[in-house]
Amino acid sequence: MTTTAEPVGAATVGATPPTGPRLDRKKFNWGTWPLLLPAFGLLLVLFLLPVIYSFYIGFTNLKLVGPTSINFDFTGLENVQRLVSDAVFHKSIVLTAIFVFGSGVIVTTLVALVLALAMQKGLAGLSTFAGAIVLAAFVLPPVTIAIVWYAASIPGGGMSLLIGNPEADLLNSAPMLAVSAANAWSLTGIAMLMFGAALRNIPGDIIEAAQLENAGPWTRFRRITLPLLRPTIMTTILLVSLLSLANFTIVYLMTGGGPGTDTMILPVYAYQQAFRFNDLSYGALIGNVMVVFAAVVAAIFVRLGRTDD
Amino acid sequence: MTDTTTELRPDPATEVHPRRVTGGKLVSNLVLLVFGLFFLVPMLWLIFASVDENATGALAWPTFTLDNFVVATSGDNLNALLNSVYISVIATVISTVPAVMAAYAFSRHHIPWKGPLLLLILMLSGVPITILIVPVYEQFLNLGLLQLVPAAIFLGVTSMPFEIWIIKNFIDAVPTDLEEAARLERAKTHQVILRVVAPVAMPGIAAATIFGFILAWGNFLIPLVLIPSTVEQPAPVALYGLLGGVFRQWGPLAAYSLLYSIPVVVLYLLLARLFRGGFALSGAIRG
Repeated sequence: MTTTAEPVGAATVGATPPTGPRLDRKKFNWGTWPLLLPAFGLLLVLFLLPVIYSFYIGFTNLKLVGPTSINFDFTGLENVQRLVSDAVFHKSIVLTAIFVFGSGVIVTTLVALVLALAMQKGLAGLSTFAGAIVLAAFVLPPVTIAIVWYAASIPGGGMSLLIGNPEADLLNSAPMLAVSAANAWSLTGIAMLMFGAALRNIPGDIIEAAQLENAGPWTRFRRITLPLLRPTIMTTILLVSLLSLANFTIVYLMTGGGPGTDTMILPVYAYQQAFRFNDLSYGALIGNVMVVFAAVVAAIFVRLGRTDD
Repeated sequence: MTDTTTELRPDPATEVHPRRVTGGKLVSNLVLLVFGLFFLVPMLWLIFASVDENATGALAWPTFTLDNFVVATSGDNLNALLNSVYISVIATVISTVPAVMAAYAFSRHHIPWKGPLLLLILMLSGVPITILIVPVYEQFLNLGLLQLVPAAIFLGVTSMPFEIWIIKNFIDAVPTDLEEAARLERAKTHQVILRVVAPVAMPGIAAATIFGFILAWGNFLIPLVLIPSTVEQPAPVALYGLLGGVFRQWGPLAAYSLLYSIPVVVLYLLLARLFRGGFALSGAIRG
């Protein structure tokens, strides 16, 4: 029916020249502005401009108190030179990398994947129990997480009991391990949720077909489950790394960056410089490094996710 | 699925299967048990210490008392919890209302450079808040805005990019037929949003609202830096004071953390309920 109607329609359109507004191209609707204005205004003033301003502050001599707290000047690369030769900053970069990749990417992702797989096969009651506990750990506010992990890491605390040495003072003997464990503990829930959803979406008939071909569990996992999970794993790793990188609260409350500078990851160092040592501009510059760090991490995963498709 | 087929067909070729499957099950249950315990232990302390008369940081069976909760809800502590409520409510309204409006425009209207704008908003949601704190502190200091309300507004703005994305995805899924019907009845844009789109996209808007509230409730750094007045400080900063105090009282600290955490847990349960029902659109359109 449509095939016979089409030539007629085309002929009439061709015959009469189009009048009035073009309907094939969408026009900007002036009613759009009032809808966008509140969000754009707030985001511009309190988000985008501060990010840009932060980049500028990083190259000035702005202090929290004293003469340069009001009349500050552009000092070019002075802060950058200080940063390049700052031993604490170098250490901070390494610690941040360990924190983000070690606890965030590797431990969180692996534990979450193992848990999601185990929940598929485990007893229903046990799966529900473990799932609820792990999710609760993710749901708790950061300050609560820091407090429970602080208590767990001191002598006699839960973690020292678990490792079988109640006298262990983990916040002094293995501070990086303690804060990394707390971070992984708090992020596993969201990763497990994402893996669980992805695993449920794997069609059962593919697995069955593989079983008919006598593929063992390990082969099935490596050849079917893992490739199908790949996009989810990439997204999860990106999310978990960004969340770890932004994790100021847990580390600051548990150790304050110490003992000494042994857990001085970049967010804590930036805060310490800006608001404890009153050096706002230096703190801002460290913050800028974090943005670059975040952008690099994001770029790597976008790249990795794309090349194989 | 695997076990039923193997049980039904005890044929020699698949005889090895049952043993392997139980092995996998055993490992799975063991994994769940061990990790479940590892995740449980720190939380167990919170619960035990909150009702323990002589609570310490150590994990120990409590000598039951409710005194810790009395201390936790007295004077300054209660005030800080109320401040948390103010801050979170303001932040949630500030982030959600503009987010709904912008999400609707992004979903339905023709906007020049829509793609790049949405990408920019997505990128903003990945920016660590830690880096915003110095410039915003400087701005607020110069304008005399280091108080509860401006801090709450800023807190709301930080979760706005993410909310725009969530809500836009939900509005995208609302069929345009509903709106066209409303337009035929000469409904204005705000009426269309409030009466037609918002009710149908409610699970998404509710999710974004709850999310914004939880983020504001949990944030520690922003009130720590942007609210110098102790009477205006919210619960997370009060908890930090209790943790860092010279005479640390573990019992009230645990009880207060627990009270402070309960609203978030309840909200997450609500969120889970919202999504268990799925995104029910089927009733809105017939045929």
